[in-house]
Amino acid sequence: AFTAKQKSISPNWPITHYSRPATLRVVLSSDLSRPPPAPISAMPPLTTPKSGDALFASVERVNAELFTLTYGAIVRQLLTDLEEVEEVNKQLDQMGYNIGTRLVDEFLAKSNVSNCADFKETADTIAKLGFKMFLGVTATVTNWDAEGTTCSFVLEDNPLVDFVELPDTCQGLQYCNVLSGVIRGALEMVSMKTEVTWVRDMLRGDDAYEMRVKLTKQVPEEYPYKDDD
Amino acid sequence: MIVCVAVVGHQNNPLYLQSFTEADDALKLHHVVHCSLDVIDERVNNPKKSAPTLNETFLGLLYPTENYKVYGYLTNTKVKFLMVTTDLDVKDADARNFFRKFHAAYVDAVSNPFHVPGKKIASRSFGARVSTIVKSFGSGTVG
Repeated sequence: AFTAKQKSISPNWPITHYSRPATLRVVLSSDLSRPPPAPISAMPPLTTPKSGDALFASVERVNAELFTLTYGAIVRQLLTDLEEVEEVNKQLDQMGYNIGTRLVDEFLAKSNVSNCADFKETADTIAKLGFKMFLGVTATVTNWDAEGTTCSFVLEDNPLVDFVELPDTCQGLQYCNVLSGVIRGALEMVSMKTEVTWVRDMLRGDDAYEMRVKLTKQVPEEYPYKDDD
Repeated sequence: MIVCVAVVGHQNNPLYLQSFTEADDALKLHHVVHCSLDVIDERVNNPKKSAPTLNETFLGLLYPTENYKVYGYLTNTKVKFLMVTTDLDVKDADARNFFRKFHAAYVDAVSNPFHVPGKKIASRSFGARVSTIVKSFGSGTVG
């Protein structure tokens, strides 16, 4: 019985996904002058990337109100503990960063996406697949600058903010700062340093949520292991 | 036409009180609401019928005066909703429907993480939503 069970799980064993992180690399169009480092494995992707809906259907889900209220309780508690709205914004961003650094692995393992050719493709992947997988909504990518390093994610629907109404005392609060932190953390794990800022916020009376993502630096991949170890 | 609505907490503390009249009779309406709370207490402490009405939240007509009729609704968390109307014949179904929507609006308002339970409801969107419900009640009874 033991061997049979072992056989049945082996084809889907997630280790196979983790064992080829080197194929995950993004090359910017502006960086094309220098030769790209050769990928460690020239193996083609095992499967094609899933669609956003398929991805959303494949992950475990949680009741939306429970999620919204839990996040609300966290923000509320941070406000009580830290007292300063600015500190809360920083803390939310840091929490998001910590989430993002972990979440990116799950995303890559489950979505079957491979190399993105440029930052534009990365942005599209986040908007269409990343947001769909973890929040159940999709974002639109707009307002590209000329260099193709800055863009905006626009969210029409944001499950974090159902029921929420900012009181007058918290007008400086970036309620959804955790999302910008997640993107920053996730992109940093795939060697892109970004700055993420909020430009529009429905809680302050705007018509949508818009965050501006600026690619500041692309870190060349460094491998932590050395040959002479 | 509905002239006043109120949400009252379980210790009879006012959570939301809004009148919808042009005239300056808010005080009078608040008085009517206040008097109705005693009627609710009486109903709750001396239930006429037993088992089937235990979970009934709609309290029906509480307090008819010369000009107004007061309808009540009591949630299982002992939050009371009151509605003061000048309509003479209000259909039970309309009143029930009104309170159902009012209750839903209240639930969403207290789900706001910045709302402190037991404190007054300061939400602007709640106020706007209640106004809409109140207006639709008037049109519903005419039609």
